[in-house]
Amino acid sequence: MSKTLAYYPGCSLHGTASELDSSFKAATAALDVTLQEIPGWECCGNSAVHSANRLLGLALPVNELAKVEQDMKLDAVAVPCAACYSRFMVGAHEIGDRETAADVKAVVGRGYDGSVTVMNLIDVFHDAVGLDAIKEKLVKPFDGLKVACYYGCLLTRPPKVTMADNPEYPMHMDEVVEAVGCKPVDWNYKTDCCGASLALCEQSVVVDLSRRILADAKACGAEAVVVACPLCQANLDGRQQAMLADDSAWQSIPIIYLSQLIGRAVGVHGKVLGLKKHLVDVTAVMA
Amino acid sequence: MTTCTPSASLSRRIRAGCDENACKCYQCKKCSSGCPVARYAGLHPAQIMRAVQLGQLDMIFDDKFIWLCTGCETCTTRCPQSIDIAGIMDELKIMARQQGRFPTVDAPFANILKLNYDSIKRWGRLYEIELLALDKLTRPSGMMDDVGLGMKMFFKGKLNLFPTKGDKLAMERMVRTSESITRAKEQRGAAE
Repeated sequence: MSKTLAYYPGCSLHGTASELDSSFKAATAALDVTLQEIPGWECCGNSAVHSANRLLGLALPVNELAKVEQDMKLDAVAVPCAACYSRFMVGAHEIGDRETAADVKAVVGRGYDGSVTVMNLIDVFHDAVGLDAIKEKLVKPFDGLKVACYYGCLLTRPPKVTMADNPEYPMHMDEVVEAVGCKPVDWNYKTDCCGASLALCEQSVVVDLSRRILADAKACGAEAVVVACPLCQANLDGRQQAMLADDSAWQSIPIIYLSQLIGRAVGVHGKVLGLKKHLVDVTAVMA
Repeated sequence: MTTCTPSASLSRRIRAGCDENACKCYQCKKCSSGCPVARYAGLHPAQIMRAVQLGQLDMIFDDKFIWLCTGCETCTTRCPQSIDIAGIMDELKIMARQQGRFPTVDAPFANILKLNYDSIKRWGRLYEIELLALDKLTRPSGMMDDVGLGMKMFFKGKLNLFPTKGDKLAMERMVRTSESITRAKEQRGAAE
């Protein structure tokens, strides 16, 4: 059965995370999900907006949700960037307050009834597609590749906004990677922050935070780290050359998008998955 | 030993801005023990909360903690008093930006936030390569940071040379309306 989702790519997927865009589109297509990009979408209201103008930070995502609900007439939107996903969830949550809702409505120019389900990258595969449907479509499953599923900050936090089942030790991504033949490891840094929002100004802090995460993943036996956020990917992947410069014994570990992992298992070509766009080589584990 | 004169004005200002009540904090320090960046700043989150309760704005603005806060929401998630601590950090950043109060001369994070916000207002979306270039030009101390990494990302095709644009007219309208509503609220709050 095919399902149609509205699609909000966000700025990263049109730039530094183009391989998340291409692998997400190809993997969902192979799993009978149709994506319709929101016409003329705007920025989600990232931290530069909400730490300057709180109201605009709420109105921007609600404006996109109103488009999905009233112009596109769809009941769900896929938001693969974890940072954008968080803004959508915060916007939808905050308009539960009557005064805030009135202000947001004045800015957006129309109301939003709250009928749209917001799905992050994991939700699309875990809930919209489903584990059984993924297993039915496997062309080239993995043979027990050991991976650490990294959720980072905003997919589960804060739980009153994300409604995550288990914000401190989530499992949905682990269940999805298991469905494509990988072996998720238990580890300690699943939801710790990699510091990506400081990437352009506090390089030493970011390298230190990322090193702690990757060192733990490796110590727990992972051969690769699977991510569901373009900022985490760019950070954990890009910062490993600094870790190598600090310590020549550093063993690099590939950082793979969940959509690339699933895409490979359901038969999407490596070129479409953008496997050559990574700084740490992923070809050995994705072969 | 230094002493201070406590004042409730800061916790009232925070409450007016983001509807969070800092007075509920009883200093259990769960926020500080889970904070990924506390070890890199002079103050940790529980100390920021205490400074808010006591009205010690200078103490907060002179430290870099609020600019290191990544907004990871660990403190907000774990607070036994259900205080949105990360939301309070955001509100403090808004106040610091309004007053131009930064702990260092070139305030890297504040500069990037400003350029990022300008870019979104200009294009309707974030234009990544323009943000990187303008940050280099406006912040000499960061000129050579990550040049090698940036070049590698560029050659991997990870940086888009040209902007993709959102609905710019709608963005302009939303920026204008939200700024005027916020300004009117602040004026009403100040009059009360």
